[in-house]
Amino acid sequence: MDILVVLFLVIGLFFFLGGAVGIIRMPDFYTRLHPAGKLDTLGIFAMVTGLAIYNLHHFSLEALLLCAKMFLIVFFVFLSSPTATHSIVDAGMRAGLRHWTKKKGKG
Amino acid sequence: MRFLGLIIVCLTGALLLYGTGEFPDWGDPDSPASIHLSNYYIEKALEETQVPNLVTAVLADYRGFDTMFETAVVFCAGLACFLLLRDFKEKKERFYRHTPTGVILHVKNSKKILKTGKEFEHMDKDWVPADLIIKTVCRILIPFIQIYALYVVAHGDFSPGGGFQGGVIFGSSLILLAISYDLKTLIQRVKEKVLGIFAALGVLIYVGIGAICMFMGGNFLDYAKLAPLIPGDPHHIRALGMLGVEIGVGIAVTAAMVIIYINIVSAGRHDEGR
Repeated sequence: MDILVVLFLVIGLFFFLGGAVGIIRMPDFYTRLHPAGKLDTLGIFAMVTGLAIYNLHHFSLEALLLCAKMFLIVFFVFLSSPTATHSIVDAGMRAGLRHWTKKKGKG
Repeated sequence: MRFLGLIIVCLTGALLLYGTGEFPDWGDPDSPASIHLSNYYIEKALEETQVPNLVTAVLADYRGFDTMFETAVVFCAGLACFLLLRDFKEKKERFYRHTPTGVILHVKNSKKILKTGKEFEHMDKDWVPADLIIKTVCRILIPFIQIYALYVVAHGDFSPGGGFQGGVIFGSSLILLAISYDLKTLIQRVKEKVLGIFAALGVLIYVGIGAICMFMGGNFLDYAKLAPLIPGDPHHIRALGMLGVEIGVGIAVTAAMVIIYINIVSAGRHDEGR
């Protein structure tokens, strides 16, 4: 059981780390939003799954309810995080920000 | 006139700075707060008020006056935004869209106002259609945010939270509606007049509860005197009084937040902005 918890937490941390590195390393605004939106969502899912399993050590109705509430957080993050990224990209396009191309980066 | 305002602001600031000089030093062990006040709150709060959350007990009961005037300050902020920014001048040119054909009408006569509804809809020059994804997700999220806000207000005397926080969350759900659709959708649902009434009503509930306590023969905001009016365990009367006060704060903060947002985002015109 504990091994499963650690595994999920490590997976979550891995995705968060990837997201952080991606935000710093990616070349422009739009590509930076890609790790910010995608990896955070999956990272939160893995982390909360790990914590929920840890919480179920002493199985009871209360613990189960707490797990349901935790997954409610995941549900809302799953809804709102991609939508926020989408609207930020939309705003960038409307404001007229050009996307990055490889040629421009070399020149 | 401007110069006069500057002088008044500077004088008030100097007065406040002079006043703070009298305060005890930061973390002074001899100040009244450290000698007996904090200890008294920690020891007696649960016994006297039956409220498990010490912070709420101090804020809404022991220091009820302070919180009352904080609510009044929030109300004044909304009022100031309204008075400074609200622009009642009619727009000279209007744009309408004929919904069935998609033709856009440009009406230059300011007196001619087309009725919007099934046939025509409002247009602004810099209007962009709201995105379907954002609209749908916000429509799903807004009811949850509002229920959460009510929970924070209602649960304020048991766990961290209360009127200010709940009011801000509720107001943000209304602002989210204005962002995801447009400002007109919000104003159609929540009229400006209603917002003004609610902002004043929130402060009135707070002061009214205090006044009823005085009417029942106690001090202002002495909730214990409300016991004959409300059936139930008289020991919990202070918690109930605090709940009533928190509801008033929540209503006032919600309305003031939305008033400030609407007036700032549309520069007082209430007709465009996203």
